Amino acid sequence: MPRARLANAAAAAAYEALPLPTTRDEAWRFTDLKDFDPSSFGTRPAAAAVTNVPQLLDLDVAGLATVTESGITVDRAPEGVVFEPLSPDHQRLYELVGWNEKFAAHNAAVWEHGLLVHVPKGHVLRQPLYVRLHNSAENGSLFFRLLVIAEEESRFTVIEEYASARPDLPAYTNAVAELYVEQAAKLEYVSIQNLSRETWHFGTHHARVERDAELDWVAGGFGSKRGKIRIQNDLNGPGATSRVTGAYFADGSQHLDYDTFQEHIAPSTESDFAFKGALRETARAVWRGMIRVEPDAQKTNAYQENRNLLLSPDAHADSIPGLEIMANDVRCTHGATLGRVDEEQLFYLMSRGLTRSEAERLIVRGFFQDVLDRIELEPVREALGAALEARIPQT
Amino acid sequence: MALLELKNLHVALEDGTEIVKGVDLRVDTNEVHAIMGPNGSGKSTLAYAIAGHPAYEITEGQILLDGADVTEAGADERAQQGLFLAFQYPYAIPGVTVTSFLRSAINAIRKARAGGVDDPVPVPEFRTELFAQMERLKVSRELASRYLNDGFSGGEKKRVEILQMAMLKPRVAVLDETDSGLDIDALKIVAGGVKELVGPSMGALVITHYQRILNYIQPNFVHVFVDGQIVEEGGPELAQELEKSGYAKWEKEKVA
Repeated sequence: MPRARLANAAAAAAYEALPLPTTRDEAWRFTDLKDFDPSSFGTRPAAAAVTNVPQLLDLDVAGLATVTESGITVDRAPEGVVFEPLSPDHQRLYELVGWNEKFAAHNAAVWEHGLLVHVPKGHVLRQPLYVRLHNSAENGSLFFRLLVIAEEESRFTVIEEYASARPDLPAYTNAVAELYVEQAAKLEYVSIQNLSRETWHFGTHHARVERDAELDWVAGGFGSKRGKIRIQNDLNGPGATSRVTGAYFADGSQHLDYDTFQEHIAPSTESDFAFKGALRETARAVWRGMIRVEPDAQKTNAYQENRNLLLSPDAHADSIPGLEIMANDVRCTHGATLGRVDEEQLFYLMSRGLTRSEAERLIVRGFFQDVLDRIELEPVREALGAALEARIPQT
Repeated sequence: MALLELKNLHVALEDGTEIVKGVDLRVDTNEVHAIMGPNGSGKSTLAYAIAGHPAYEITEGQILLDGADVTEAGADERAQQGLFLAFQYPYAIPGVTVTSFLRSAINAIRKARAGGVDDPVPVPEFRTELFAQMERLKVSRELASRYLNDGFSGGEKKRVEILQMAMLKPRVAVLDETDSGLDIDALKIVAGGVKELVGPSMGALVITHYQRILNYIQPNFVHVFVDGQIVEEGGPELAQELEKSGYAKWEKEKVA
């Protein structure tokens, strides 16, 4: 049997064997899936004929691909790099994300549409590679798989943006990304999720960063109903660094969950994860962060933080930082805070002529400023800043 | 028609405690009024109530701005109509630079005055004006790109309050204990900034415990404020008298 079919079959068996997580599982303690039945969503639906799906980003790009339930199209690909539909027989598949977890297994079992980005040694792309993911099938599911190989000393940016054809589209999306950042390469990876308020979204994103390589990651969360995004970075060679910047905004009954894992395997590695979120109405956010330093990873420098701003009395956030340190010469720090918009700050701004919503927007923009400042790509920084502010309704 | 008129103003806290007990006051263009009173007399409550703080309830009386009744208006509407309060303790807004805050405030006021249509100030015009005012008020350029009041010294905060006033060009400015915590040089600059703005298009109400600031901003009228009421009114000589004899005379009267 071809490799692909074997993997799919093994993953399907794992998926069937693994129970749907419940709040009794530690990782899912604050994210309840009891209203979610993955099998109620069609696995191979046809995409609806939709034009102009709303997008946050407007970019000049080197490569462009579009993924829907019906397939992947590569609209433009730059010379000298591989930017094409991902073959299910690719040798590097499943090494970082296999099928030992329910949603990873579901993806491995049934995914059809994937994208391969393979940039050869020393190749530098000035403009980003951009993949748009659009779901449009009512009660349908979309499984996507991204495989990125950044060969030695290559430098480039991959941006993915998830959006739905309708703001109330009921759907299920499941994405996996495997990112290989090889020696002295630099990869910027931006993943922005703006799915419908009725989309259950699950993501498993895992990167391995080799010697002297650099990974700069931005995660933007605006849409979806409920689910979980897992982010793992392995610092696998001395001098490897990764920086992950998260910014999210949830309102209504949205529930966002980020589960991050900084895995220091090699010595003299650095990781810096900063997530900030604002929550309105009855929205909830869960952030769980783990730094693990393996016995050989001396001189590790690791940082993680999660800060939430609550804009309504019924909004809620849970932050669970974690450290697991098995080396003795390391520096690991973490921080978590929960703040509310201060009525006195609002009065101060309003006494200068700003309306209440203008004042709230300014406070929210200020709250996110330091994470936005970490984003190197200006159009991404601007688009995220504008999208965050736009979530405060105008009165 | 007065710029700012208080008619029999009564102000209470949320728990019903009355703090301001019937104040009548008219501030006109070209005028500086001083409200002088001891600690705990309700001066800051009066300032906050004029500016529209939601925690202070106006239980009786009226506030008029240029003849329009703003008693029920929000703080934003009052500011849009030309009221400015210089805070005794300005709040920090992390992540928002002085420049971007000022531009937002000016644009909010312009939008309100244009009937809700965006009418942003042209950036070059804004910058020229901002740098000129900063120069005049001896606010260092570096402060413009720092986050508003975030880590500012007491003196920097007060100067930036006056800078805001100069940029927003109100009709009437209420200065709440602007002199507290300022050294003499800063006080001179701040007072000079206020004095320059008072004229045919602006009047000011200076609320203070001490006579010191009034050496630099000559008031036309002095109102002595004790226990939520104006107990005596006069010209600048009244401030001199207060400096010598303090508030004991009226506070004793209160006891008796």
